[in-house]
Amino acid sequence: MSDVGQPVIQVNDLHHVYLRGTPLEVKALNGVTLEVRPGEAVGIIGRSGAGKSTLVQHFNGLIRCRERGRVIVTGHDMADPSVNVRLIRQRVGLVFQHPEQQLFERLVGDDIAFGPKKLGLPPAERRERVRWAMEMVGLDFERFKDRFTFSLSGGERRKVAIAGVLALQPQVLVMDEATTGIDPSGRKEILDRIVGLRKAYGVTLVIVSSNMEEVASLVDRLYVLEDGRTVLSGTPREVFAHPDRLMGYGLGVPAVSAVANDLLKHGVPIPRTPLTVTEAVEDLWRILSSSGT
Amino acid sequence: MEDFEFLRNVTIGQYFRGDSVVHRMDPRAKITVLIILAIVNSLTQSVSGNALMLALCIAFVFLSGISIRFMLSGIRPALPIILLFAMMQLFFYGDAYPPYGVVPETYWQWGMMSVTNGSIQLVVVTLMRFLQIYLLVSLLTGTSTTTQLAYAIESMLEPFQRFRIPAQEISLVGTIALRFVPIFAEQMEIIMKAQASRGADFGSGGVFHFVRRTRQMATLIVPLFVDAFRRAEDLITAMDARCYTGGRGRTRMVRFRMVARDYAVLGAIVLFGCLMVVFRNDFPI
Repeated sequence: MSDVGQPVIQVNDLHHVYLRGTPLEVKALNGVTLEVRPGEAVGIIGRSGAGKSTLVQHFNGLIRCRERGRVIVTGHDMADPSVNVRLIRQRVGLVFQHPEQQLFERLVGDDIAFGPKKLGLPPAERRERVRWAMEMVGLDFERFKDRFTFSLSGGERRKVAIAGVLALQPQVLVMDEATTGIDPSGRKEILDRIVGLRKAYGVTLVIVSSNMEEVASLVDRLYVLEDGRTVLSGTPREVFAHPDRLMGYGLGVPAVSAVANDLLKHGVPIPRTPLTVTEAVEDLWRILSSSGT
Repeated sequence: MEDFEFLRNVTIGQYFRGDSVVHRMDPRAKITVLIILAIVNSLTQSVSGNALMLALCIAFVFLSGISIRFMLSGIRPALPIILLFAMMQLFFYGDAYPPYGVVPETYWQWGMMSVTNGSIQLVVVTLMRFLQIYLLVSLLTGTSTTTQLAYAIESMLEPFQRFRIPAQEISLVGTIALRFVPIFAEQMEIIMKAQASRGADFGSGGVFHFVRRTRQMATLIVPLFVDAFRRAEDLITAMDARCYTGGRGRTRMVRFRMVARDYAVLGAIVLFGCLMVVFRNDFPI
């Protein structure tokens, strides 16, 4: 949570148009401005079609900025054609929605080793990377490394895919709705592990999500995207204090925050917008005990 | 650097919303026009005849309101192979085809290779023929929705049903195939981006590093196939859930009716086709 030093990712008034110059052109980004500082966890929310995926694909050079605006990743201006994109992609790991669809090797270990191999690491170090990445996502190295990729369950396959990105040891991990479509316990496990990764290694996190509860508890700061623009930003507490605006953007607030906002309207002096049930319980307990005396 | 926008290159099979004369034409009439012009195309040998045909195709594209530049941009990925074929025709077909309408002449000869006015004519005519068919097919898929095409194929195959030709099934297979082209292009783009995110570099190694390039493709092909099978299974379940039992006795919500304009266009094209075929040997060069 150190906000010292240069931002790792800095986006300034970014515009992007898909299929420019064809009858099918679509405006995806209309002026996004945001920054991600080293070590922090940033959330990006917005309804589908708001431009979230387009935005995060700029972070590792999958989409290059050709229109207006600037993207600076770890000090490199991404519009500069001489930027070493492979280096950027190693520093900024991007996990897509349904990442299990990218697996192609027969064995789990080989699949995770794909990235390190492409980095040109010697076999021994590759093996270490794979072991580390598998541990990070909670797959036992000895038990899983020689399993067939396609014999795994959906949740396990997703862990393998995430491990495949972690094996590059990125400084920034971008999760583009990477936990949608798996069961709540699997979801929680993956997120807990990602948080652990941040704590242990100071990895910067960018989490794109449509699950408000998930973002609320995970991130330090939040950006709301609408129509390819950043329309709201701040700490989750600040952002979720505007339920009406969020509704207008097709989003909601975490259920506890909504209840607290309602209580506030009815005159209960809630001191802050709670983000988790624990926080709400603490606050209510304090109010109840003080009004009791 | 790599460009991941695949749909930019897939112009064939892509539908462009519009309300032009071509869009409103009955899909069966469009397919018939395509078939007639394809036959005429293969029977016309002369440069001037093909120029006339090409002009007609370009006129159709203008009528449809689709940008011809964009349509032609779809050829770009195929250009190297087209050029290769053109070169082979130019150098190795010198004696195989006598030129149409002029006295044979040899300009250059070296061993097996030769350039004659016959081979030059062949190259020009082949390119023009290719362009005609390409434009017509792009136009058909660009101005008709898949539903319209399926309906057209089904209704045109109906008379053959008595010979046990499964018209409905054939049109269904065609529809599914067409419908899945953009889906797979999109899926391919996603997989390519995902692999690039973990270190794959596509397009490196140059044209002649076959092995490396093939290995690179494996990282795309395997996930793409897995996805295709998954989608096929989903589709089967969806069809089962809607009690699909094959085409016999099915009715349709939308029925198309040929109107006077469709018959007029068809008549004109048939007349044009007949004239082109009858007088095919009367064109200069």
